[in-house]
Amino acid sequence: MEARRHPRALEGVEPIYEGAEAYLYPVTWAGRRALAKWRPPKEYRHPAIDAEIRRARTIAEVRGTLHALEAGVNAPAIYYVDVDDCIIFMEFIEGVLLREYIDEHGASTRVLELAREAGRQTALMHSRGLVHGDLTTSNMMVTGSGKLYIIDYGLSGHAKTEREKAIDVHLFKRSLESTHPEYLEPLYNAFLKGYAEEAGEEAARRLDHLVEEIRMMGRYVEERRRRKP
Amino acid sequence: MANAATQSSCRVERLYPSIDWEGDEVLVLGIESTSHTFGVGVASSKPPYILSEVKDTYIPEKGGIHPREAASHHVSVAPNLLLQALDEANVSIKDIDAIAVALGPGLGPCLRVGATIARALAAYYSKPLVPVNHALAHIEIGRLYTCLDDPVVLYVSGGNTVVAAYAKGRYRVFGETLDIALGNLMDSFARDAPLPDDIRPPPYVRRGMHVVDICAERASKPASLPVGVVKGQDVTFSGLYTAAVRASRRQRVEEVCLAFREIAYGAVVEVTERCLVHTGKRQVLLVGGVAASPVLREKLAAMTRYHDAVWGAPPPRLAGDNGAMIAWLGLLNYLKGITCSIEEAVVRQRWRLDDTPAPWRV
Repeated sequence: MEARRHPRALEGVEPIYEGAEAYLYPVTWAGRRALAKWRPPKEYRHPAIDAEIRRARTIAEVRGTLHALEAGVNAPAIYYVDVDDCIIFMEFIEGVLLREYIDEHGASTRVLELAREAGRQTALMHSRGLVHGDLTTSNMMVTGSGKLYIIDYGLSGHAKTEREKAIDVHLFKRSLESTHPEYLEPLYNAFLKGYAEEAGEEAARRLDHLVEEIRMMGRYVEERRRRKP
Repeated sequence: MANAATQSSCRVERLYPSIDWEGDEVLVLGIESTSHTFGVGVASSKPPYILSEVKDTYIPEKGGIHPREAASHHVSVAPNLLLQALDEANVSIKDIDAIAVALGPGLGPCLRVGATIARALAAYYSKPLVPVNHALAHIEIGRLYTCLDDPVVLYVSGGNTVVAAYAKGRYRVFGETLDIALGNLMDSFARDAPLPDDIRPPPYVRRGMHVVDICAERASKPASLPVGVVKGQDVTFSGLYTAAVRASRRQRVEEVCLAFREIAYGAVVEVTERCLVHTGKRQVLLVGGVAASPVLREKLAAMTRYHDAVWGAPPPRLAGDNGAMIAWLGLLNYLKGITCSIEEAVVRQRWRLDDTPAPWRV
Protein backbone atom coordinates (compact mmCIF):
# COMPACT_ATOMS: atom_id res chain seq x y z
CA MET A 1 0.00 0.00 0.00
CA GLU A 2 1.23 3.48 -0.80
CA ALA A 3 2.15 5.80 2.02
CA ARG A 4 -0.98 7.81 2.75
CA ARG A 5 -0.67 11.47 3.38
CA HIS A 6 -3.08 12.41 6.06
CA PRO A 7 -4.09 16.06 6.28
CA ARG A 8 -2.07 18.16 8.67
CA ALA A 9 -4.98 18.64 11.06
CA LEU A 10 -5.10 14.86 11.58
CA GLU A 11 -1.39 14.10 11.63
CA GLY A 12 -0.48 11.35 14.05
CA VAL A 13 -4.06 10.12 14.43
CA GLU A 14 -4.78 6.61 13.16
CA PRO A 15 -8.08 6.27 11.27
CA ILE A 16 -10.59 3.90 12.87
CA TYR A 17 -12.25 3.26 9.55
CA GLU A 18 -11.04 3.49 5.96
CA GLY A 19 -13.99 3.60 3.60
CA ALA A 20 -13.92 3.93 -0.14
CA GLU A 21 -14.79 7.60 0.01
CA ALA A 22 -13.63 8.81 3.41
CA TYR A 23 -11.49 8.01 6.43
CA LEU A 24 -12.80 8.38 9.97
CA TYR A 25 -10.53 9.52 12.83
CA PRO A 26 -11.27 9.54 16.55
CA VAL A 27 -10.39 13.02 17.80
CA THR A 28 -11.13 15.41 20.64
CA TRP A 29 -12.96 18.62 19.86
CA ALA A 30 -13.28 21.27 22.57
CA GLY A 31 -12.85 18.57 25.19
CA ARG A 32 -15.43 16.24 23.67
CA ARG A 33 -14.95 12.95 21.98
CA ALA A 34 -15.47 13.67 18.28
CA LEU A 35 -15.16 12.13 14.85
CA ALA A 36 -13.17 13.67 12.01
CA LYS A 37 -14.22 12.62 8.53
CA TRP A 38 -11.73 13.26 5.76
CA ARG A 39 -12.31 12.78 2.05
CA PRO A 40 -8.90 12.00 0.55
CA PRO A 41 -7.98 13.04 -3.00
CA LYS A 42 -8.46 10.38 -5.66
CA GLU A 43 -5.59 9.88 -8.04
CA TYR A 44 -7.91 8.44 -10.68
CA ARG A 45 -9.77 11.71 -11.08
CA HIS A 46 -8.59 14.86 -12.81
CA PRO A 47 -7.25 17.08 -9.97
CA ALA A 48 -9.63 19.95 -10.73
CA ILE A 49 -12.68 17.68 -10.89
CA ASP A 50 -11.55 15.71 -7.86
CA ALA A 51 -11.27 18.91 -5.84
CA GLU A 52 -14.72 19.97 -6.99
CA ILE A 53 -16.33 16.62 -6.13
CA ARG A 54 -14.75 16.41 -2.67
CA ARG A 55 -15.63 19.99 -1.90
CA ALA A 56 -19.21 19.59 -3.15
CA ARG A 57 -19.75 16.45 -1.07
CA THR A 58 -18.20 17.96 2.05
CA ILE A 59 -20.50 20.97 1.78
CA ALA A 60 -23.52 18.79 0.92
CA GLU A 61 -22.82 16.64 3.95
CA VAL A 62 -22.63 19.58 6.35
CA ARG A 63 -25.68 21.24 4.85
CA GLY A 64 -27.66 18.01 4.76
CA THR A 65 -26.74 17.10 8.33
CA LEU A 66 -27.79 20.52 9.61
CA HIS A 67 -31.09 20.41 7.71
CA ALA A 68 -31.74 16.93 9.05
CA LEU A 69 -31.10 18.10 12.62
CA GLU A 70 -33.44 21.05 12.09
CA ALA A 71 -36.11 18.69 10.84
CA GLY A 72 -35.82 16.65 14.03
CA VAL A 73 -33.87 13.74 12.58
CA ASN A 74 -31.22 12.11 14.77
CA ALA A 75 -27.99 13.05 13.03
CA PRO A 76 -24.49 13.80 14.34
CA ALA A 77 -23.97 17.40 15.46
CA ILE A 78 -21.47 19.26 13.30
CA TYR A 79 -18.66 20.95 15.25
CA TYR A 80 -16.45 22.36 12.52
CA VAL A 81 -15.81 22.06 8.82
CA ASP A 82 -12.57 22.60 6.96
CA VAL A 83 -13.77 22.99 3.38
CA ASP A 84 -10.29 23.38 1.87
CA ASP A 85 -9.03 20.10 3.30
CA CYS A 86 -12.45 18.41 3.11
CA ILE A 87 -12.58 17.51 6.81
CA ILE A 88 -15.71 17.55 8.95
CA PHE A 89 -15.49 17.41 12.74
CA MET A 90 -18.68 15.99 14.20
CA GLU A 91 -20.31 14.27 17.12
CA PHE A 92 -19.01 10.77 17.78
CA ILE A 93 -21.96 8.38 17.64
CA GLU A 94 -21.27 5.21 19.58
CA GLY A 95 -23.20 2.33 18.06
CA VAL A 96 -23.51 -0.30 15.33
CA LEU A 97 -24.76 0.00 11.78
CA LEU A 98 -28.42 -0.93 11.32
CA ARG A 99 -27.26 -3.46 8.73
CA GLU A 100 -25.16 -5.26 11.35
CA TYR A 101 -27.95 -4.96 13.90
CA ILE A 102 -30.40 -6.67 11.52
CA ASP A 103 -27.79 -9.35 10.73
CA GLU A 104 -27.59 -10.10 14.42
CA HIS A 105 -31.22 -9.81 15.49
CA GLY A 106 -33.25 -10.74 12.39
CA ALA A 107 -36.77 -9.30 12.10
CA SER A 108 -37.29 -9.07 15.86
CA THR A 109 -39.83 -6.71 17.43
CA ARG A 110 -36.94 -4.39 18.25
CA VAL A 111 -35.72 -4.38 14.62
CA LEU A 112 -39.24 -3.74 13.30
CA GLU A 113 -39.43 -0.82 15.70
CA LEU A 114 -36.12 0.53 14.32
CA ALA A 115 -37.38 0.19 10.73
CA ARG A 116 -40.52 2.12 11.72
CA GLU A 117 -38.32 4.77 13.31
CA ALA A 118 -36.20 4.95 10.13
CA GLY A 119 -39.41 5.58 8.16
CA ARG A 120 -40.55 8.24 10.61
CA GLN A 121 -37.24 10.11 10.47
CA THR A 122 -37.10 9.85 6.68
CA ALA A 123 -40.55 11.46 6.53
CA LEU A 124 -39.34 14.27 8.80
CA MET A 125 -36.38 14.86 6.51
CA HIS A 126 -38.58 14.80 3.41
CA SER A 127 -41.08 17.22 4.98
CA ARG A 128 -38.30 19.85 4.81
CA GLY A 129 -37.48 18.94 1.20
CA LEU A 130 -34.25 17.21 2.17
CA VAL A 131 -33.37 13.98 0.39
CA HIS A 132 -30.56 11.78 1.69
CA GLY A 133 -29.29 10.38 -1.61
CA ASP A 134 -27.81 7.17 -0.17
CA LEU A 135 -30.42 5.97 2.29
CA THR A 136 -29.37 2.42 3.14
CA THR A 137 -29.14 0.29 6.26
CA SER A 138 -25.38 0.97 6.18
CA ASN A 139 -26.05 4.67 6.68
CA MET A 140 -28.12 4.22 9.80
CA MET A 141 -26.75 3.57 13.27
CA VAL A 142 -28.23 2.11 16.42
CA THR A 143 -26.80 3.35 19.71
CA GLY A 144 -26.46 1.35 22.88
CA SER A 145 -29.64 2.94 24.22
CA GLY A 146 -31.50 1.92 21.06
CA LYS A 147 -31.66 5.33 19.42
CA LEU A 148 -31.63 5.37 15.60
CA TYR A 149 -29.34 7.83 13.77
CA ILE A 150 -29.28 8.59 10.06
CA ILE A 151 -25.74 9.46 8.98
CA ASP A 152 -23.65 10.30 5.90
CA TYR A 153 -25.33 13.14 4.02
CA GLY A 154 -22.58 13.50 1.39
CA LEU A 155 -25.00 12.81 -1.47
CA SER A 156 -27.93 14.70 0.00
CA GLY A 157 -29.77 17.50 -1.73
CA HIS A 158 -32.96 19.45 -2.00
CA ALA A 159 -35.85 17.56 -3.62
CA LYS A 160 -37.58 19.31 -6.46
CA THR A 161 -40.03 16.48 -7.07
CA GLU A 162 -41.80 13.77 -5.11
CA ARG A 163 -39.94 11.27 -7.25
CA GLU A 164 -36.62 12.26 -5.68
CA LYS A 165 -38.03 11.43 -2.26
CA ALA A 166 -39.25 8.12 -3.63
CA ILE A 167 -35.70 7.37 -4.84
CA ASP A 168 -34.55 7.59 -1.20
CA VAL A 169 -37.14 5.02 -0.22
CA HIS A 170 -36.30 2.90 -3.25
CA LEU A 171 -32.62 2.89 -2.16
CA PHE A 172 -33.63 1.85 1.34
CA LYS A 173 -35.82 -0.92 -0.01
CA ARG A 174 -33.05 -2.16 -2.26
CA SER A 175 -30.57 -2.20 0.60
CA LEU A 176 -32.98 -4.46 2.49
CA GLU A 177 -33.38 -6.59 -0.61
CA SER A 178 -29.67 -7.07 -1.20
CA THR A 179 -28.57 -7.65 2.39
CA HIS A 180 -31.66 -8.95 4.22
CA PRO A 181 -33.94 -10.37 1.49
CA GLU A 182 -35.70 -12.69 3.95
CA TYR A 183 -36.95 -9.75 6.03
CA LEU A 184 -37.76 -7.41 3.14
CA GLU A 185 -41.54 -7.38 3.56
CA PRO A 186 -41.91 -6.88 7.31
CA LEU A 187 -39.09 -4.31 7.45
CA TYR A 188 -40.31 -2.33 4.46
CA ASN A 189 -43.87 -2.33 5.77
CA ALA A 190 -42.66 -1.11 9.16
CA PHE A 191 -40.70 1.63 7.40
CA LEU A 192 -43.81 2.75 5.48
CA LYS A 193 -45.85 2.68 8.66
CA GLY A 194 -43.35 5.01 10.33
CA TYR A 195 -43.36 7.24 7.26
CA ALA A 196 -47.16 7.46 7.38
CA GLU A 197 -47.06 8.50 11.03
CA GLU A 198 -45.28 11.73 10.11
CA ALA A 199 -46.38 12.34 6.52
CA GLY A 200 -49.89 10.90 6.65
CA GLU A 201 -51.36 7.72 5.17
CA GLU A 202 -52.09 9.35 1.83
CA ALA A 203 -48.52 10.64 1.32
CA ALA A 204 -47.05 7.27 2.30
CA ARG A 205 -49.32 5.49 -0.17
CA ARG A 206 -48.39 7.89 -2.98
CA LEU A 207 -44.72 7.40 -2.15
CA ASP A 208 -45.03 3.63 -2.25
CA HIS A 209 -46.64 3.92 -5.70
CA LEU A 210 -43.74 6.05 -6.93
CA VAL A 211 -41.25 3.54 -5.49
CA GLU A 212 -43.02 0.82 -7.44
CA GLU A 213 -42.80 2.99 -10.56
CA ILE A 214 -39.06 3.54 -10.10
CA ARG A 215 -38.51 -0.18 -9.70
CA MET A 216 -40.25 -0.70 -13.02
CA MET A 217 -37.93 1.65 -14.88
CA GLY A 218 -34.93 0.47 -16.89
CA ARG A 219 -33.14 -1.99 -14.71
CA TYR A 220 -36.30 -3.62 -13.43
CA VAL A 221 -38.11 -3.95 -16.72
CA GLU A 222 -38.03 -7.72 -16.60
CA GLU A 223 -40.30 -7.65 -13.53
CA ARG A 224 -42.85 -5.71 -15.53
CA ARG A 225 -42.66 -8.19 -18.37
CA ARG A 226 -43.25 -11.05 -16.03
CA ARG A 227 -46.23 -9.40 -14.49
CA LYS A 228 -47.91 -8.39 -17.73
CA PRO A 229 -46.99 -11.09 -20.20
CA MET B 1 -0.81 -5.74 -14.37
CA ALA B 2 -3.20 -6.31 -17.23
CA ASN B 3 -2.63 -9.64 -18.83
CA ALA B 4 -1.84 -9.01 -22.46
CA ALA B 5 -1.53 -12.67 -23.40
CA THR B 6 -3.59 -13.69 -26.39
CA GLN B 7 -3.71 -17.25 -25.12
CA SER B 8 -4.96 -18.17 -21.72
CA SER B 9 -2.36 -19.78 -19.53
CA CYS B 10 -4.63 -20.07 -16.51
CA ARG B 11 -5.18 -23.29 -14.70
CA VAL B 12 -8.88 -23.92 -15.25
CA GLU B 13 -8.81 -26.38 -12.36
CA ARG B 14 -8.22 -23.43 -10.06
CA LEU B 15 -10.82 -21.14 -11.68
CA TYR B 16 -13.47 -23.87 -11.86
CA PRO B 17 -12.61 -26.41 -9.16
CA SER B 18 -15.93 -28.28 -9.27
CA ILE B 19 -15.71 -29.13 -12.98
CA ASP B 20 -14.05 -32.38 -13.99
CA TRP B 21 -11.40 -31.34 -16.53
CA GLU B 22 -9.88 -34.81 -16.82
CA GLY B 23 -12.48 -36.44 -19.06
CA ASP B 24 -12.68 -36.61 -22.85
CA GLU B 25 -12.47 -33.37 -24.82
CA VAL B 26 -15.75 -31.47 -25.02
CA LEU B 27 -16.34 -28.95 -27.82
CA VAL B 28 -18.97 -26.21 -27.79
CA LEU B 29 -19.88 -23.83 -30.59
CA GLY B 30 -21.00 -20.39 -29.38
CA ILE B 31 -23.09 -17.77 -31.16
CA GLU B 32 -23.14 -14.10 -30.18
CA SER B 33 -25.69 -11.71 -31.69
CA THR B 34 -26.96 -9.53 -28.86
CA SER B 35 -26.14 -6.18 -30.45
CA HIS B 36 -24.05 -4.87 -33.38
CA THR B 37 -21.64 -7.83 -33.49
CA PHE B 38 -22.34 -11.25 -34.91
CA GLY B 39 -19.67 -13.61 -33.66
CA VAL B 40 -18.98 -17.33 -33.59
CA GLY B 41 -16.42 -19.22 -31.54
CA VAL B 42 -15.46 -22.76 -30.65
CA ALA B 43 -14.36 -23.63 -27.11
CA SER B 44 -12.70 -26.81 -25.90
CA SER B 45 -12.33 -28.36 -22.46
CA LYS B 46 -8.62 -28.87 -23.25
CA PRO B 47 -5.91 -26.22 -23.73
CA PRO B 48 -5.83 -23.79 -25.43
CA TYR B 49 -9.60 -23.71 -24.58
CA ILE B 50 -10.51 -21.19 -27.29
CA LEU B 51 -10.07 -22.80 -30.69
CA SER B 52 -11.56 -20.07 -32.87
CA GLU B 53 -13.14 -16.64 -32.69
CA VAL B 54 -14.58 -14.88 -35.73
CA LYS B 55 -16.90 -11.92 -35.96
CA ASP B 56 -18.35 -9.18 -38.09
CA THR B 57 -19.64 -5.92 -36.67
CA TYR B 58 -22.42 -3.83 -38.14
CA ILE B 59 -21.35 -0.19 -38.38
CA PRO B 60 -24.15 2.28 -39.07
CA GLU B 61 -23.39 4.95 -41.66
CA LYS B 62 -24.80 7.55 -39.33
CA GLY B 63 -26.53 7.66 -35.97
CA GLY B 64 -26.73 4.76 -33.54
CA ILE B 65 -27.51 1.09 -34.02
CA HIS B 66 -30.79 0.44 -35.75
CA PRO B 67 -31.79 -2.97 -34.36
CA ARG B 68 -33.53 -4.15 -37.52
CA GLU B 69 -30.65 -3.15 -39.77
CA ALA B 70 -28.15 -4.79 -37.40
CA ALA B 71 -30.30 -7.94 -37.50
CA SER B 72 -30.32 -8.08 -41.29
CA HIS B 73 -26.55 -7.58 -41.23
CA HIS B 74 -26.27 -10.60 -38.92
CA VAL B 75 -28.42 -12.71 -41.21
CA SER B 76 -26.16 -11.90 -44.15
CA VAL B 77 -22.84 -12.65 -42.41
CA ALA B 78 -23.90 -15.64 -40.29
CA PRO B 79 -23.46 -18.56 -42.74
CA ASN B 80 -19.87 -17.68 -43.65
CA LEU B 81 -18.87 -16.94 -40.06
CA LEU B 82 -20.23 -20.31 -38.88
CA LEU B 83 -18.16 -22.14 -41.51
CA GLN B 84 -15.13 -20.00 -40.78
CA ALA B 85 -15.29 -20.66 -37.02
CA LEU B 86 -15.41 -24.43 -37.55
CA ASP B 87 -12.68 -24.21 -40.16
CA GLU B 88 -10.32 -22.19 -37.98
CA ALA B 89 -10.93 -24.53 -35.06
CA ASN B 90 -10.17 -27.38 -37.43
CA VAL B 91 -13.29 -29.29 -36.42
CA SER B 92 -16.45 -30.39 -38.20
CA ILE B 93 -19.96 -29.70 -36.93
CA LYS B 94 -20.16 -33.45 -36.14
CA ASP B 95 -17.38 -33.05 -33.54
CA ILE B 96 -19.30 -30.33 -31.70
CA ASP B 97 -20.96 -31.54 -28.46
CA ALA B 98 -23.33 -28.62 -27.92
CA ILE B 99 -24.55 -25.36 -29.44
CA ALA B 100 -24.45 -22.33 -27.12
CA VAL B 101 -26.24 -19.08 -27.80
CA ALA B 102 -26.52 -15.73 -26.03
CA LEU B 103 -30.25 -15.37 -25.36
CA GLY B 104 -29.89 -11.99 -23.63
CA PRO B 105 -29.59 -9.29 -22.58
CA GLY B 106 -29.62 -7.40 -25.85
CA LEU B 107 -31.63 -6.01 -28.74
CA GLY B 108 -34.62 -8.17 -29.65
CA PRO B 109 -34.22 -8.33 -33.44
CA CYS B 110 -30.49 -9.07 -33.12
CA LEU B 111 -30.98 -11.71 -30.43
CA ARG B 112 -33.57 -13.49 -32.54
CA VAL B 113 -31.08 -14.01 -35.38
CA GLY B 114 -28.64 -15.87 -33.13
CA ALA B 115 -31.40 -17.79 -31.37
CA THR B 116 -32.99 -18.90 -34.65
CA ILE B 117 -29.67 -20.11 -36.04
CA ALA B 118 -28.80 -21.92 -32.81
CA ARG B 119 -32.19 -23.64 -32.64
CA ALA B 120 -31.92 -24.69 -36.29
CA LEU B 121 -28.40 -26.12 -35.81
CA ALA B 122 -29.42 -27.93 -32.63
CA ALA B 123 -32.51 -29.43 -34.26
CA TYR B 124 -30.88 -30.37 -37.54
CA TYR B 125 -27.75 -31.92 -36.03
CA SER B 126 -29.46 -33.22 -32.87
CA LYS B 127 -27.15 -31.32 -30.54
CA PRO B 128 -28.01 -30.09 -27.05
CA LEU B 129 -28.74 -26.37 -26.84
CA VAL B 130 -27.06 -24.29 -24.09
CA PRO B 131 -28.53 -20.93 -23.01
CA VAL B 132 -25.94 -18.28 -22.18
CA ASN B 133 -26.25 -14.93 -20.42
CA HIS B 134 -24.19 -12.43 -22.41
CA ALA B 135 -22.97 -10.44 -19.37
CA LEU B 136 -21.87 -13.58 -17.57
CA ALA B 137 -20.02 -14.71 -20.70
CA HIS B 138 -18.02 -11.45 -20.66
CA ILE B 139 -17.01 -12.15 -17.07
CA GLU B 140 -16.01 -15.78 -17.56
CA ILE B 141 -13.87 -15.22 -20.66
CA GLY B 142 -12.33 -12.32 -18.74
CA ARG B 143 -11.42 -14.64 -15.89
CA LEU B 144 -10.04 -17.22 -18.32
CA TYR B 145 -7.65 -14.69 -19.86
CA THR B 146 -6.62 -12.85 -16.69
CA CYS B 147 -6.54 -15.78 -14.24
CA LEU B 148 -8.36 -13.61 -11.68
CA ASP B 149 -10.16 -16.09 -9.43
CA ASP B 150 -12.46 -13.78 -7.46
CA PRO B 151 -12.63 -10.28 -8.94
CA VAL B 152 -14.93 -7.32 -8.62
CA VAL B 153 -16.20 -6.92 -12.18
CA LEU B 154 -16.57 -3.65 -14.06
CA TYR B 155 -18.55 -4.36 -17.22
CA VAL B 156 -18.80 -1.35 -19.50
CA SER B 157 -20.06 -1.39 -23.07
CA GLY B 158 -22.48 0.33 -25.41
CA GLY B 159 -25.46 -1.25 -23.70
CA ASN B 160 -24.27 -2.13 -20.19
CA THR B 161 -22.67 -0.47 -17.19
CA VAL B 162 -22.52 -2.86 -14.27
CA VAL B 163 -20.34 -3.39 -11.20
CA ALA B 164 -20.76 -6.92 -9.87
CA ALA B 165 -19.11 -9.39 -7.55
CA TYR B 166 -19.67 -13.06 -6.86
CA ALA B 167 -21.41 -14.07 -3.64
CA LYS B 168 -23.44 -17.13 -2.72
CA GLY B 169 -24.00 -18.87 -6.04
CA ARG B 170 -24.20 -15.96 -8.44
CA TYR B 171 -22.75 -12.60 -9.42
CA ARG B 172 -24.52 -9.89 -7.44
CA VAL B 173 -25.03 -6.50 -9.02
CA PHE B 174 -23.49 -3.95 -6.65
CA GLY B 175 -24.19 -0.91 -8.80
CA GLU B 176 -25.24 -0.08 -12.32
CA THR B 177 -26.45 2.70 -14.55
CA LEU B 178 -29.95 3.95 -13.85
CA ASP B 179 -30.33 5.25 -17.39
CA ILE B 180 -27.87 4.92 -20.29
CA ALA B 181 -24.69 2.88 -20.57
CA LEU B 182 -21.19 4.40 -20.57
CA GLY B 183 -20.47 3.45 -24.20
CA ASN B 184 -23.81 4.81 -25.33
CA LEU B 185 -23.13 8.02 -23.38
CA MET B 186 -19.77 8.52 -25.11
CA ASP B 187 -21.11 7.79 -28.60
CA SER B 188 -24.24 9.92 -28.14
CA PHE B 189 -22.18 12.87 -26.96
CA ALA B 190 -19.72 12.43 -29.83
CA ARG B 191 -22.69 12.54 -32.20
CA ASP B 192 -24.45 15.54 -30.69
CA ALA B 193 -21.54 17.82 -29.69
CA PRO B 194 -19.74 19.95 -32.29
CA LEU B 195 -16.49 17.96 -32.27
CA PRO B 196 -13.62 19.26 -34.43
CA ASP B 197 -13.99 18.29 -38.12
CA ASP B 198 -11.06 15.87 -38.18
CA ILE B 199 -12.67 13.64 -35.54
CA ARG B 200 -16.34 13.97 -36.43
CA PRO B 201 -17.79 10.48 -35.98
CA PRO B 202 -18.38 7.85 -37.08
CA PRO B 203 -16.23 5.90 -36.44
CA TYR B 204 -16.32 6.62 -32.73
CA VAL B 205 -13.08 4.84 -31.97
CA ARG B 206 -9.93 5.70 -33.91
CA ARG B 207 -6.69 3.83 -33.36
CA GLY B 208 -7.95 2.57 -30.02
CA MET B 209 -9.09 5.98 -28.75
CA HIS B 210 -12.65 7.23 -28.52
CA VAL B 211 -13.12 10.52 -30.39
CA VAL B 212 -14.25 12.17 -27.15
CA ASP B 213 -10.92 11.15 -25.58
CA ILE B 214 -8.97 12.43 -28.58
CA CYS B 215 -10.83 15.73 -28.29
CA ALA B 216 -10.21 15.83 -24.51
CA GLU B 217 -6.45 15.41 -24.99
CA ARG B 218 -6.42 18.78 -26.75
CA ALA B 219 -7.63 20.66 -23.67
CA SER B 220 -5.43 21.98 -20.91
CA LYS B 221 -8.19 22.35 -18.32
CA PRO B 222 -11.68 20.92 -17.87
CA ALA B 223 -14.85 22.95 -18.36
CA SER B 224 -17.29 23.19 -15.48
CA LEU B 225 -19.97 20.48 -15.66
CA PRO B 226 -22.26 19.00 -13.00
CA VAL B 227 -20.35 16.30 -11.11
CA GLY B 228 -23.30 14.55 -9.43
CA VAL B 229 -23.24 11.35 -11.45
CA VAL B 230 -22.82 8.82 -8.62
CA LYS B 231 -26.11 8.08 -6.84
CA GLY B 232 -25.41 5.79 -3.93
CA GLN B 233 -23.98 2.70 -5.58
CA ASP B 234 -25.38 3.55 -8.99
CA VAL B 235 -24.59 6.05 -11.70
CA THR B 236 -26.88 8.18 -13.80
CA PHE B 237 -25.52 9.73 -16.97
CA SER B 238 -28.45 11.49 -18.61
CA GLY B 239 -27.97 14.75 -16.66
CA LEU B 240 -24.26 14.86 -17.54
CA TYR B 241 -25.08 14.20 -21.19
CA THR B 242 -27.59 17.05 -21.42
CA ALA B 243 -25.37 19.51 -19.58
CA ALA B 244 -22.33 18.58 -21.68
CA VAL B 245 -24.16 18.90 -25.00
CA ARG B 246 -25.41 22.33 -23.96
CA ALA B 247 -22.00 23.44 -22.71
CA SER B 248 -20.30 22.22 -25.90
CA ARG B 249 -22.19 24.85 -27.88
CA ARG B 250 -21.11 27.72 -25.64
CA GLN B 251 -17.65 26.74 -24.42
CA ARG B 252 -14.51 25.24 -25.93
CA VAL B 253 -15.59 21.76 -26.94
CA GLU B 254 -12.17 20.31 -26.01
CA GLU B 255 -12.57 21.47 -22.42
CA VAL B 256 -16.10 20.11 -22.30
CA CYS B 257 -14.84 16.75 -23.62
CA LEU B 258 -12.15 16.64 -20.92
CA ALA B 259 -14.59 17.36 -18.09
CA PHE B 260 -17.18 15.00 -19.59
CA ARG B 261 -14.94 11.97 -19.87
CA GLU B 262 -13.23 12.62 -16.53
CA ILE B 263 -16.59 12.73 -14.75
CA ALA B 264 -17.99 9.72 -16.60
CA TYR B 265 -14.96 7.43 -16.22
CA GLY B 266 -14.37 8.69 -12.69
CA ALA B 267 -17.92 7.70 -11.72
CA VAL B 268 -17.63 4.06 -12.83
CA VAL B 269 -14.20 3.74 -11.21
CA GLU B 270 -15.62 5.21 -8.01
CA VAL B 271 -18.47 2.69 -7.89
CA THR B 272 -15.93 -0.09 -8.56
CA GLU B 273 -13.81 1.25 -5.70
CA ARG B 274 -16.82 1.21 -3.38
CA CYS B 275 -17.53 -2.40 -4.30
CA LEU B 276 -13.88 -3.36 -3.79
CA VAL B 277 -13.81 -1.85 -0.30
CA HIS B 278 -17.27 -3.15 0.56
CA THR B 279 -16.57 -6.76 -0.45
CA GLY B 280 -12.93 -6.81 0.67
CA LYS B 281 -11.90 -8.49 -2.58
CA ARG B 282 -8.40 -7.89 -3.98
CA GLN B 283 -8.95 -8.03 -7.74
CA VAL B 284 -10.75 -6.04 -10.42
CA LEU B 285 -11.72 -7.41 -13.82
CA LEU B 286 -12.53 -4.97 -16.62
CA VAL B 287 -14.69 -6.30 -19.48
CA GLY B 288 -16.94 -5.01 -22.27
CA GLY B 289 -16.33 -2.89 -25.35
CA VAL B 290 -15.22 0.16 -23.34
CA ALA B 291 -12.55 -1.99 -21.59
CA ALA B 292 -10.21 -1.13 -24.45
CA SER B 293 -10.19 2.56 -23.45
CA PRO B 294 -6.63 3.48 -22.42
CA VAL B 295 -7.94 6.34 -20.27
CA LEU B 296 -10.31 4.11 -18.31
CA ARG B 297 -7.58 1.49 -17.87
CA GLU B 298 -5.20 4.09 -16.49
CA LYS B 299 -7.80 5.23 -13.95
CA LEU B 300 -8.57 1.68 -12.89
CA ALA B 301 -4.84 1.03 -12.48
CA ALA B 302 -4.49 4.08 -10.22
CA MET B 303 -7.49 3.06 -8.11
CA THR B 304 -6.40 -0.56 -7.64
CA ARG B 305 -2.81 0.48 -6.89
CA TYR B 306 -4.11 2.67 -4.09
CA HIS B 307 -6.00 -0.25 -2.55
CA ASP B 308 -3.17 -2.69 -3.07
CA ALA B 309 -5.35 -4.69 -5.44
CA VAL B 310 -4.63 -6.04 -8.92
CA TRP B 311 -6.64 -5.56 -12.08
CA GLY B 312 -6.82 -7.23 -15.43
CA ALA B 313 -8.67 -7.21 -18.71
CA PRO B 314 -8.82 -9.74 -21.52
CA PRO B 315 -7.26 -8.73 -24.86
CA PRO B 316 -9.47 -6.08 -26.52
CA ARG B 317 -10.83 -8.48 -29.14
CA LEU B 318 -12.16 -10.73 -26.39
CA ALA B 319 -13.19 -7.86 -24.08
CA GLY B 320 -15.75 -6.65 -26.62
CA ASP B 321 -18.62 -8.79 -27.89
CA ASN B 322 -17.45 -12.05 -29.46
CA GLY B 323 -18.52 -15.64 -30.10
CA ALA B 324 -15.66 -17.25 -28.15
CA MET B 325 -17.02 -15.99 -24.83
CA ILE B 326 -20.42 -17.50 -25.59
CA ALA B 327 -18.72 -20.79 -26.50
CA TRP B 328 -16.64 -20.69 -23.29
CA LEU B 329 -19.57 -20.01 -20.95
CA GLY B 330 -21.59 -22.49 -23.03
CA LEU B 331 -18.92 -25.07 -22.27
CA LEU B 332 -19.02 -24.32 -18.53
CA ASN B 333 -22.83 -24.48 -18.53
CA TYR B 334 -22.81 -27.70 -20.53
CA LEU B 335 -20.31 -29.34 -18.18
CA LYS B 336 -22.62 -28.33 -15.31
CA GLY B 337 -25.61 -29.86 -17.07
CA ILE B 338 -27.30 -26.57 -18.01
CA THR B 339 -29.09 -27.07 -21.33
CA CYS B 340 -32.52 -26.15 -22.65
CA SER B 341 -35.01 -27.54 -25.11
CA ILE B 342 -35.64 -25.81 -28.42
CA GLU B 343 -39.00 -24.53 -27.12
CA GLU B 344 -37.29 -23.01 -24.09
CA ALA B 345 -34.64 -21.20 -26.13
CA VAL B 346 -36.46 -17.87 -26.33
CA VAL B 347 -34.68 -14.53 -26.18
CA ARG B 348 -34.67 -12.42 -22.99
CA GLN B 349 -33.90 -8.80 -23.83
CA ARG B 350 -33.56 -7.79 -20.16
CA TRP B 351 -32.01 -10.95 -18.76
CA ARG B 352 -30.27 -9.76 -15.62
CA LEU B 353 -26.86 -10.96 -14.51
CA ASP B 354 -28.11 -11.48 -10.96
CA ASP B 355 -30.94 -13.68 -12.25
CA THR B 356 -28.41 -16.23 -13.45
CA PRO B 357 -26.84 -18.96 -11.32
CA ALA B 358 -23.07 -19.45 -11.61
CA PRO B 359 -22.70 -23.03 -10.33
CA TRP B 360 -19.18 -23.50 -11.74
CA ARG B 361 -17.86 -20.88 -9.30
CA VAL B 362 -18.38 -23.17 -6.32
